[in-house]
Amino acid sequence: MANYLAQFQSIKSACDHIVISVEDVSDLWPTVKNAFEERLPFKRAILNNKTRNPVLVDKLPAEFILTTDARLRSRFPQEQLLFWFREPYASIVLVTCEDLDEFKTILKPRLKLIVQNDEREWFIVFVSKAHPNNDQATKMAKKVYARLEVDFSSKKRERCCKLDIHGPEPNFWEDLEIKIIESIRNTLDRRVQFYEDEIRKLSELRFMPIWNFCNFFILKESLAFMFEMAHLHEDALREYDELELCYLETVNMTGKQREFGGVENGDEEAALLNFENKPLTQIVQDDSFREFEFRQYLFACQSKLLFKLNRPFEVAARGYTFIISFSKALTQHENILPFCMREVWIITACLALISGTYSNYNEGLAAPDIEKEFYRLLGDLYSLCRVKFMRLAYIIGYGSDIERSPINSASLSMLPWPKPSVWPSVPPDASSEVLGKEKLILQATPRVKHFFIQRKPLPLEPSVLLREANRRRASFSAGNTFEMFDGRSAIDGSGSDAPLRMSSLNKAQTISMSRTNSSPGFGGSIDRPMRLAEIFVASEHALRQTISNPSLWKSLSSVEEFEQKYLELTKGAADNYHRSWWKRHGVVLDGEIAAVFFKHGNFDLAAKSYEKVCALYSGEGWQDLLAEVLPNLAECQKILNDQAGYLSSCVRLLSLDKGLFSVKERQAFQSEVVSIAHSEMEHPVPLDVSSLITFSGNPGPPSVLCDGDPGTLSVTVWSGFPDDITLDSLSLTLAATYNADEGAKALKSSIATVLKPGRNTITVDLPPQKPGSYVLGVLTGQIGQLRFRSHSFSKVGPADSDDFMSYEKPTRPILKVFNPRPLVDLAAATSSPLLINEAQWIGIIVRPIDYSLKGAVLHIDTGPGLTIEESHVIEIESYIEVSQRAGDIANSNSALNDCFLSDNKDFERLSLHDGRIQLPDWASNVTSILWIPVCAIDNNLARGSSTVNPQRQSIVDGMRTIALKLEFGVSHNQIFDRTIAVHFTDPFHVSTRVADKCNDGTLLLQVILHSEVKATLNIFDAWLDLQDGFVHTGKDDGRPISGFFPLVVSPTSRAGILFSICLGNTIAEVEDVAVQPESLLNIRYGIFGDRTAGAHPPVTAESNGSEGTRQDLIFRSALVLQRPVLDPSLAVGFLPLPSDGLRVGQLINMNWRVERLKEFDQSKDYQCNDEVLYEVDANSDNWMIAGRKRGHVSLPTEQGSRIVISVLCVPLVAGYVRPPQLGLPDIDQANISCNPPGPHLICVLPPALSSSFCIPA
Amino acid sequence: MIVCVAVVGHQNNPLYIQSFTEEDDALKLHHIVHCSLDVVDERVNNPKKSGPTLNETFLGLLYPTENYKVYGYLTNTKVKFILVTTDLDVRDADVRNFFRRFHAAYVDAVSNPFHVPGKKITSKTFAERVSTIVKSFGLSSAG
Repeated sequence: MANYLAQFQSIKSACDHIVISVEDVSDLWPTVKNAFEERLPFKRAILNNKTRNPVLVDKLPAEFILTTDARLRSRFPQEQLLFWFREPYASIVLVTCEDLDEFKTILKPRLKLIVQNDEREWFIVFVSKAHPNNDQATKMAKKVYARLEVDFSSKKRERCCKLDIHGPEPNFWEDLEIKIIESIRNTLDRRVQFYEDEIRKLSELRFMPIWNFCNFFILKESLAFMFEMAHLHEDALREYDELELCYLETVNMTGKQREFGGVENGDEEAALLNFENKPLTQIVQDDSFREFEFRQYLFACQSKLLFKLNRPFEVAARGYTFIISFSKALTQHENILPFCMREVWIITACLALISGTYSNYNEGLAAPDIEKEFYRLLGDLYSLCRVKFMRLAYIIGYGSDIERSPINSASLSMLPWPKPSVWPSVPPDASSEVLGKEKLILQATPRVKHFFIQRKPLPLEPSVLLREANRRRASFSAGNTFEMFDGRSAIDGSGSDAPLRMSSLNKAQTISMSRTNSSPGFGGSIDRPMRLAEIFVASEHALRQTISNPSLWKSLSSVEEFEQKYLELTKGAADNYHRSWWKRHGVVLDGEIAAVFFKHGNFDLAAKSYEKVCALYSGEGWQDLLAEVLPNLAECQKILNDQAGYLSSCVRLLSLDKGLFSVKERQAFQSEVVSIAHSEMEHPVPLDVSSLITFSGNPGPPSVLCDGDPGTLSVTVWSGFPDDITLDSLSLTLAATYNADEGAKALKSSIATVLKPGRNTITVDLPPQKPGSYVLGVLTGQIGQLRFRSHSFSKVGPADSDDFMSYEKPTRPILKVFNPRPLVDLAAATSSPLLINEAQWIGIIVRPIDYSLKGAVLHIDTGPGLTIEESHVIEIESYIEVSQRAGDIANSNSALNDCFLSDNKDFERLSLHDGRIQLPDWASNVTSILWIPVCAIDNNLARGSSTVNPQRQSIVDGMRTIALKLEFGVSHNQIFDRTIAVHFTDPFHVSTRVADKCNDGTLLLQVILHSEVKATLNIFDAWLDLQDGFVHTGKDDGRPISGFFPLVVSPTSRAGILFSICLGNTIAEVEDVAVQPESLLNIRYGIFGDRTAGAHPPVTAESNGSEGTRQDLIFRSALVLQRPVLDPSLAVGFLPLPSDGLRVGQLINMNWRVERLKEFDQSKDYQCNDEVLYEVDANSDNWMIAGRKRGHVSLPTEQGSRIVISVLCVPLVAGYVRPPQLGLPDIDQANISCNPPGPHLICVLPPALSSSFCIPA
Repeated sequence: MIVCVAVVGHQNNPLYIQSFTEEDDALKLHHIVHCSLDVVDERVNNPKKSGPTLNETFLGLLYPTENYKVYGYLTNTKVKFILVTTDLDVRDADVRNFFRRFHAAYVDAVSNPFHVPGKKITSKTFAERVSTIVKSFGLSSAG
């Protein structure tokens, strides 16, 4: 059967659709052909799949072929069975007949003949040529068709249908289609069944020696092909999958050593999507196929079906695994395959898969996750291709152009070298090429990294190529010499000139060694170990043999071409990874693209890509990898003159783990930063050094300030710079925790600060802040022209390098500013009054409230009527609360008090300058009392009170104010204002009364002294200077008997002195002395008081205050004495009322007579002597008064002049009522005598009856 | 041979990475581990893919490459363990067993009160224990 393979292939390629045979009995086909073929392809066909489940097939292609056609005629029966799939799936018998007899006699037997013995699915189409207008013909056609149905249709199956050529028959085509599809379905089912049976039979023999895979393959593929023809791609795919499984099973069966294949020219070009690459007949190997070609063929068939099923992503997925597994197979057979065949095959396979799947892929075809997966696979394919391409490039000597990046190292250094049985040798005429390569090797200098970073380059090779290649040469068994110098060449991997020179030195030795076992197949020239350049040249020549694809070879022909292809592959991989889930892969590949850009001076694009890579690594904290890329970015930025970027890159480099760079390198980074900072920067940029300079408050509780106070703040700053760095200025912002809106305040320390590496403590001045608590905000500063800022807050130690996640705001306040509160209190020491007109100490208690008054200055401003005794110094002493020494006060012993005060050590005398006093330092934290000597001036003489002159002094008279202003705080920023009221008073208040009037005219005048002060007063003497009209009785100076003195008056108590006086004139003796209107009481007294309690002895110039010297003070008080009135000067007489009594409502005249009894006293100070003020006083309930109640009447001043005042009154109520009274308000009661006196009560009768009220109208 | 083991934090930051190669090429292993996070992410974020193994910590083979294999393991706290081996013939059970022991060592290391969660593991004991586990992995797979 295997012989049919060629035929099978040709059949397969010849027909790719279902065939429907047409038996044209009545030569009708030309007439209906077009109409029939219009129905193709069938729009909706329901077919059964292998598991007999209905499957809807859209657009089933088919072909109508006449049975007379050569294609159907010339077939042998056996062929028919074997290639049954190509046989017609339905048979249509086209007939027409217009005569029933003709049908019966001719047509029917013929039809019977056609349909009998035939397993074909057939049915008859009766074509009626009758014109619709021709009733006869129509009828006849109907009859014939009815007959036809009776004869050929059965109950089970309708096998007839009728087509009216001239009449519209809409149902016919539908009917026809249904019948055709039904036939196809039935045929298909039957044939599937047949093939399955055959395959099963064959499968059972699988482990027999007679088993022939080719036969199995033909059957299986026939089935698959049939499914494919019927558009049941899913089933076809399954057949191919089974076929592949079966093949792999058999191919791996031991015992049969088969040829692998792949040695033909052009085989290295992968044909995994091209199933027509090689005819199957060419790859037949005994009873099976060569693995190399056949597996690719199977995959191509599968992918063709998958493309038809619109599943290109599945092709990619299967393709990738196929490439990997096929690559393994290639590895196994590598020794028979051409040099680097595996690599080339993979490259071409990947590229073919990529272009194949991509061209069959439409965006949005699949669900998003499948799409992502698809792009990921494309990315994988690209990167696999890229790796193999790099490997080839390395082998032919482009290794120095491959970036030694982690990704390239990871993919290349773990990828074994190709393992040909014999490493290719240098062709004889290639010495110029070798020289060229050697030149290239010598010229290739490893790129010096920016900042002179020294890194051992990452390996790109699994082992040293030199050794590997030489070992694989048949003539050479790796000698010890090689091991020796290869070990050195491994240091730089790419093989610099040093080992090459060494190899030439050792040439002689190695040649002599190797001569013995050189194989005859190789010339003598290769008996020595090959040099690297020779290996490259040899590989290049071998590869040229291997690679048949000119474009691939072109890509390897020069470094430029290689780079272009490399870039294309890398970009393809990166782009596809970017569209998939594998972002990291994409970004890392971007970095590779950047390296190429960089090499070609396209720094702009390189920087962009490098930035992406750096962002990826730094975002996730992969510092080792970052340290590899970041210098490249920095270099790009430097070349591009992107100072901001370059600086930030330097800072990032500095803030990486310290172990990643040597101290020298780190110092280079720093010097870059510093030199740029101090250079002329075109656009000074702010630089974020958060990762490098971190700061924190000092541990412990936050510093505390009162509102309005400046202060200093100590901050710990950690520097990550490797060397000392000078900050030209530094400022810190404070952020209030309570108020986010409030802009952070900057604290500046403009002096240059040198930060040591590690911990530094910096103190900044703190201007007054608003109340609240503050945290550290941002650290800003300048290095040269460069402004930098750091947001990073370190807790205790330096910020850990992987602190990027715990980037949190400090929450611990560093500063607390309290709300405004009283910081100091100024108060008067005593509330009891002081002596007026005497020098007195005012005590002012200065009480700091948890606040230092260091350097405080007190401004004193006295109010009107108060002066500071400038001649005296001001005293200050520490103060103990009154309550503490209440007991001492109770004793009220001044000596004791003095002792008490002297116990206190703090006592100082201060002087006043411009109304200011500087408080001493010792008083800054303790309550102190400030004694200020003052004198309250009152020029008015104290007046005594008496019954004659009852007014009392107002307390305001003795009030004086003293305005105090205390400036304190660190910079006198705190001000406390207070005005203190001080009460001054005379020592006594004097009141007098006449204690007794003696018969002999002597008056006992009692003078009562009220002590006004809280101090003991000693009266040493008292005398009374009497006013005119009074004289002392004894004609002496009026002093009390001296034996009474001293008279001690306790605080706030009273004392009385009696003076005996009488009326009399004393002016006779001294005429010129002015008449004294007031008496004057003189008291000589002493005071014993404590200034802490109140009034005290006046401040003397000596101001010693000791009690030895007694100071006598004089107190004067004016007294007004009045002579008693002995003779009234006016008489008021009430004139009698009419005798008939008074009646209510009756008008009466009340008359009073006023008479001057004696001449008016000149001394009395009355201005209007001839006028008298009168006033009538009456109860308005009882009386109605007509006329003026008050007025002046003229009364001559001569004695005996009189006047009558009459007032018209109406009594209002009946009964005894008090009559109106006449008063003279201007004249003392004593000067008025009532003669005759008015009645106390008078009788008022009810009103007289009036008849007029009773008269009816 | 196991060439590299790594612990990667839940924010994909390396917590511990140790290579067991003689050459000075740890960086390429860093790269492999870092890129394998793509696969872990994909498995975790793509519920369809991780459907049946959603609750399993062992992520299995992450990378089917030609020359090395990367296995992953994801703890409940989203800490990833990555294993890179050049053995191309590795039994799944061996890897599972390895990760189980590695996880136990990790838990012990982070239970140290002086360890700051989310920071790199610097414990020497942990490193020693890991290298023991790695060595014993080689033995068990060989034997």
